[in-house]
Amino acid sequence: MLPFRVELKTGSPISEQLIYAVKKAVISGLMQAGDKFPSVRTLSQELRVNPNTAHKVIAALISQGLLEVRPGIGTIIGKNPKPTPQQRSELLGEDVEHLVVEAKKLRLELDDVTKAVEQHWTKLS
Amino acid sequence: MKPIIETTSLNRRFGRNDVVRELTLQIPEGSIYAFLGPNGAGKTTTIKMLLNILQPTSGAARVLGVDSTELGPRELAQIGYVSENQELPEWMTVSQLIDYCKPMYPTWDDAFCEKLLKNFNLPPHRKLKNLSRGMKVKAALVTSLAYRPRLLVLDEPFSGLDPLVRDEFIRGMLELSEQSNWTIFISSHDIDEVERLADWVGVINEGRLHLSEPTESLQNRFRQIEFTAGPETTSLPATLPANWLVPEMAGQNVRLVESQFNESVTLSTLQRIFPGASQPNINPMSLRDIFLALARTFRFKGETT
Repeated sequence: MLPFRVELKTGSPISEQLIYAVKKAVISGLMQAGDKFPSVRTLSQELRVNPNTAHKVIAALISQGLLEVRPGIGTIIGKNPKPTPQQRSELLGEDVEHLVVEAKKLRLELDDVTKAVEQHWTKLS
Repeated sequence: MKPIIETTSLNRRFGRNDVVRELTLQIPEGSIYAFLGPNGAGKTTTIKMLLNILQPTSGAARVLGVDSTELGPRELAQIGYVSENQELPEWMTVSQLIDYCKPMYPTWDDAFCEKLLKNFNLPPHRKLKNLSRGMKVKAALVTSLAYRPRLLVLDEPFSGLDPLVRDEFIRGMLELSEQSNWTIFISSHDIDEVERLADWVGVINEGRLHLSEPTESLQNRFRQIEFTAGPETTSLPATLPANWLVPEMAGQNVRLVESQFNESVTLSTLQRIFPGASQPNINPMSLRDIFLALARTFRFKGETT
């Protein structure tokens, strides 16, 4: 099992989807500084993705400072500063884009979309 | 990346049948290469030539830098091979099979072998003839992995296996990713299992290679396109670009597969041929859908799933 949730979809590159899923898990607090991160082999076995892809993901996360290498242990979640609200809202980017595209296909106006979002927002608060 | 397998105009004829024709192919070291094609496409014959089990009628193959017809114990000790119709010494127990294989491989790793046996739940003292098909395949995989081969060749390894065994098998072969050197060459007519694993794909049909390229570039150039043609278009034009595969029209809805996708070129071609068309939906495709589009276009014979 992996310490983060990811549902791989066809279309966008697997490595991007994985990096996004890990960031989401770190920013939302599902994984915390010091937690052990899965190895290339585990990532690849659990998700049935190419080990080279898994390697690419880990290397990217290390270079972005989300993961740190601990000799003898492997990689762990880095002591990155608390995520800013901006970083947290960036995680929504993809979903927002999707919503806007769908809304445009339905020929809705921005107002209609805002209203729909507001309605759902109040429903859940 | 330097190729670990390289073939040049490889041909193999059985009687009057050209089973493999002019096959020129390179498999980079460090890749998982999926060799796809319907049953009877020439996959097994190709593999047998690569491993010096069959001689080519003409052409040549180099494996681990050596001409395939000169492969000897030194090279074969670095190659793992599991095939669909592997013959095992049925009278042996699992542990006897291990003891029998071990001396042939200088790099045999006992601890790794133990780990694989445990992960696969293989009963060491049961005779092979009393094992299920899935168990036998797993036993064959253990004896091909335990010496940590540089090259693992799998010929239709999944056919007839239940999903649980397939999963164990894939996990097993991915154990190799801990090594510094590994390449996996896997033939299959069943694309689902290798969809996300393969970073290179080759497609063979009737002995000929249709394509051989990185999965990423393949998925970059294929798109499924769907749009509404507009009322003035009542049927598909007789000639459409050759890189548009399997065009279909139902009512006003048109669907096709663009095999050389380039956003501006594709859109302007679409505009020119269907001036009244709606904004098209352009979707990336799974390896499976790409394979099916190719199979329909080139009328692959045999079973393609």
